[in-house]
Amino acid sequence: MAKRHVIVGGGTAGHNAINAIRQEEREPAEIVLVADERPYSRMVLPYYLGRTIAESHVYTATPPRLAQLGVKAHLGRRAVGLDPKAGKLTLDDGTVIEYDDLLVATGSSAVRPKVPGVDGPGIHSFWTLEQVRRVVAEVHAGSHVVMVGAGFIAFTILNSILALGARLTIVEIAPRILPRMIDRTGAEVVEGWLRTHGVEIRAGATLTAVEQVGGRRRLRMKEGGDIDADVVIMATGIKTNLEWLQGSGVRVNRGVVVDDHLRSSVSNVYAAGDVAEGRDLITGQPDVHAIEPTAMEHGRVVGANMAGRDVAYRGSLLMNILDVCHLDVASFGRWDDPGAPEADVVVGARPERHGYRKLLWRGDRLTGAMIVGRADDVWTTNDVGMLKGLVQSGVPLGAWKEYLRRNPFDVKRAFVASRTTARLLPETVLGRPSPPPGIVWATA
Amino acid sequence: MAATKVLKIVPERCTGCLRCELACSYMQTGTFQPAKSVIRVSPFEGHTSYAPYTCFQCAEGWCMTACPVGAITISAVGAKVVLDDQCVGCKLCTIACPYGTMFYNPDTTKAFKCNLCGGDPACAHACPTQAILYEDAETADWLGDFAAGRATPWLETVAGNGGR
Repeated sequence: MAKRHVIVGGGTAGHNAINAIRQEEREPAEIVLVADERPYSRMVLPYYLGRTIAESHVYTATPPRLAQLGVKAHLGRRAVGLDPKAGKLTLDDGTVIEYDDLLVATGSSAVRPKVPGVDGPGIHSFWTLEQVRRVVAEVHAGSHVVMVGAGFIAFTILNSILALGARLTIVEIAPRILPRMIDRTGAEVVEGWLRTHGVEIRAGATLTAVEQVGGRRRLRMKEGGDIDADVVIMATGIKTNLEWLQGSGVRVNRGVVVDDHLRSSVSNVYAAGDVAEGRDLITGQPDVHAIEPTAMEHGRVVGANMAGRDVAYRGSLLMNILDVCHLDVASFGRWDDPGAPEADVVVGARPERHGYRKLLWRGDRLTGAMIVGRADDVWTTNDVGMLKGLVQSGVPLGAWKEYLRRNPFDVKRAFVASRTTARLLPETVLGRPSPPPGIVWATA
Repeated sequence: MAATKVLKIVPERCTGCLRCELACSYMQTGTFQPAKSVIRVSPFEGHTSYAPYTCFQCAEGWCMTACPVGAITISAVGAKVVLDDQCVGCKLCTIACPYGTMFYNPDTTKAFKCNLCGGDPACAHACPTQAILYEDAETADWLGDFAAGRATPWLETVAGNGGR
């Protein structure tokens, strides 16, 4: 009998796992997908909001594609219980699915602060496609949109809101924007840039209630200065979807604890993406990286291992990029390394071009980097990618470390002369060249 | 895999004339604008040596695997190519590529990169000194030894004592 792989979650991790199984397996196995939504890419939802793509563009594993991949899908269903001893998964409609191995890729959900009125009409999260549809329906030219939370998710939709002709106010409880992506100086550069683009920022501001007033929303603020809004977007964080694993015996810390093969404490149960607590490439320590690239790599590694390969994962590199009104903001690795000696933190600023960089070192290896710069400057050199390459490869930079301290805007010479390319070229995630997307190799 | 022809760079032959950048930008975007070129000539050893640098068409294809909508694929000639009608401009490929050879065009709001001009690379044609060849080869770190041999001693002499 064919082996049965069960994939719980149809996001980036699950989708990549399915593709990798089909690409790597020797004998066609049975694949069952359980997903509470039709699979789509969260990463591209902001472009749907901005109307630069149609809703159809967001879907990844469409029904024809799932059929082509030979996947039996339980869409609109949610996993509610796992019994690893019996090898059984229970769904919310009572269906029981037996498995040979299973992937936990249930991702995260948006959370809102417990504030009176926060679940009323005109107040939305921007996380699921269903939530995004509501935002799309309500944001128009001239709308006043208030975003509560100034983190990565909020910033991914900022351009689209402005492009629609809406007015935008950002409210953040922390003293500054993007507290988990860039440092204070970087945040100041971005805040200055945003103000010149007509965005109002209220940092250090605490929401105490939302009231419905004459068809609009009134945000009550602890510090005073209430804000009236047509649409409120709550971008106040996410939580990992782990509750359904309670009592399963699968070891959970901040996420499902996984080994270098992304196996949980139960050897035939894997975890990937936002729910997995796997190795951080730079620190070597377990961490939850709720970012798209980690979900993608995790998913591929799990898929290959489910298909019988023996793929050890080196760990995921924390990385983020945002386009803020054509000011690019990116960070890699340990950009906020609290343990880095002061001498090993290098900053460079070009205030007249809204340029800012920070390089963090351990010895002569770059372990973290941050870059802020105008799109028309950044993409004439692409130091963004090379900084990622320096952090990812861990290449020893020797005397180039001091050069970069004095010339943080000239990365390329250091990158090339340190033979970073030679280190990187043999690197592949699955130990072989990647096939193009959309290819089915081994399915019957 | 498809064809194995790659852009082989022979940095010792580069004069820094930038014709490859002009040819590339014209081929890729229809304008003679080096900022839109996906092959970039850089100075080494101060400004006495130059070498062009472009996508290695690496085995992993970091840009391709990172794309959330499958907008980067492998062309018939083995190049990783961006499908413009699929690319949404999210820039994930630009941070995934560790070589710095994935670019973003603010005018089109799409990612762009070397596509080997469909198997007839304009940069190789334009190079008057055969510093850029399009031939059967394994992709390699064409510039590393060249730059290490010139730029690192330069750094140590000019900047002295680690740059101080």
